[in-house]
Amino acid sequence: MGLNHETAPVEVREHFAVSEQELGLMASKLTELTTIAESVVISTCNRMEVYVAVEDRQMGLDVLMQHLSQDHDDDEMSHMYQKCGDEAKKHLFALVCGLNSMVLGETEIFGQVKNAYKQAFEAGATKGVLNRLFQKSFSVGKRIRTNTRIQMGATSVGNVAVDLAEKIFGKLKGCHVMIIGAGETSRLVAQSMISRGASQLTVTNRSMERAKALADELNGEVVPFDSWEDALVQADVVVSSTGAPEPVLRAAQIESVRRMRKFRPLFLIDIAVPRDIESQAGDIEEVYLYDIDKLQQLASSARESRAKQVELCEQMIAEEIKQIS
Amino acid sequence: MFYMAVGSVYRLSLLGVFTAPLVCFLLSIALMPGLLDASPERKTVVDGWRESHAAFSVLAYGALGLAAVAGSMFIVLNRQLKGAHTGTGLFANLPPARDLNKVVERLLWLGFALLTLGLICGLVMEKSGAANKHLYVALGQWFAYTLLLALEWKRGMPPRKLAIAAVVLFVLSLMIFPLIN
Repeated sequence: MGLNHETAPVEVREHFAVSEQELGLMASKLTELTTIAESVVISTCNRMEVYVAVEDRQMGLDVLMQHLSQDHDDDEMSHMYQKCGDEAKKHLFALVCGLNSMVLGETEIFGQVKNAYKQAFEAGATKGVLNRLFQKSFSVGKRIRTNTRIQMGATSVGNVAVDLAEKIFGKLKGCHVMIIGAGETSRLVAQSMISRGASQLTVTNRSMERAKALADELNGEVVPFDSWEDALVQADVVVSSTGAPEPVLRAAQIESVRRMRKFRPLFLIDIAVPRDIESQAGDIEEVYLYDIDKLQQLASSARESRAKQVELCEQMIAEEIKQIS
Repeated sequence: MFYMAVGSVYRLSLLGVFTAPLVCFLLSIALMPGLLDASPERKTVVDGWRESHAAFSVLAYGALGLAAVAGSMFIVLNRQLKGAHTGTGLFANLPPARDLNKVVERLLWLGFALLTLGLICGLVMEKSGAANKHLYVALGQWFAYTLLLALEWKRGMPPRKLAIAAVVLFVLSLMIFPLIN
């Protein structure tokens, strides 16, 4: 039984949310209810689901509904879905594979389900039925992720940029990221780069205040907007998103520092409209230039490719359910 | 040995995919003498310099060949990155561009060092008239690699140019010795 981003808006989901530390405790409490022998509670930003093994199906549903409705009104409860038997197994397997996620095929859910199960197991809320079911779901998840392309490709502009950076530089540890324009998208891309190991960050912006705020937030350095070109010698990745009507970074500027850079690869990410980086910069041999259109196109083709894999994943899940039924 | 020399971080599993056709070709060539002559002549006198020259030269060819293969991998990856063709399986499996560039660079240096040793042994060993022609070509090859590495070391070089040079020089080296023999 549960609700997710497809059945309930965030205002409702937040009322059902269970903190990560309390998942085991809540699962354990549920097993104290009549007819509920085992339980696992999963709570993420997009869902709250309760998996239970009961002695009597109808009585189990009634007891669970009654328990949950103690803290929630009828309107909130109307967003709940219930699944039993093979349908519930299918739902769990699909969940672990990321088929029910907002970003199709995302991998984080696998760890979240694993953590929820671990907590329930450690709290003594699971026994034979749910232990077998969840262990099976993890092996199904691994099999599907290995044998299909459900998790292939990044589906957001930020992740596409970071994946490309890793394809150019390998591990981003020690990479120097330069941000031109302290907008929200730049911040997100820079954050993704830092989370993957980029250790040096330079921020430049027409408004020094905003540049400083972003640099402080991301533990970087500020460079005045009229002298950022000097920092280009050290940069490995440049993320540009200013509101300037004319290109901010021209091919000639890169040409002039190529030898000083010893022809190191330079990854330019232009997420501004109108574009900040002259397209001729991409013709320079060691420069990889991606504008917002290219990044969005890659993200969208990854999403399409994942969507095409859903049918195959569902077939594999159906085979697995057939085997265990 | 080459993998150990270039560092464990540069173990490139996909290198095998690119080297397999070359290895297959070279092994086929190596089988030829055995097929042509059922009882080949045995050597009675062994010249240490000659043997060292052959061993170092073969090892140098191995390193330079791998540099050329890594260079080809870089050219393919660079093309895909430039054109934003990132959806292919090959793209997903190729190592990062900067690592490939470092591999090319290191293997070129290793190959060059071995080639130098091979050349020194070749200069010292006893030579016939035909061997002199062979030596001039080897010297030319050595100068070409010296020039490439000196340029790369002194002023740097765009990774794509270095990769192309590694491939072209190796192909020329492969072609030129059978031609003069």
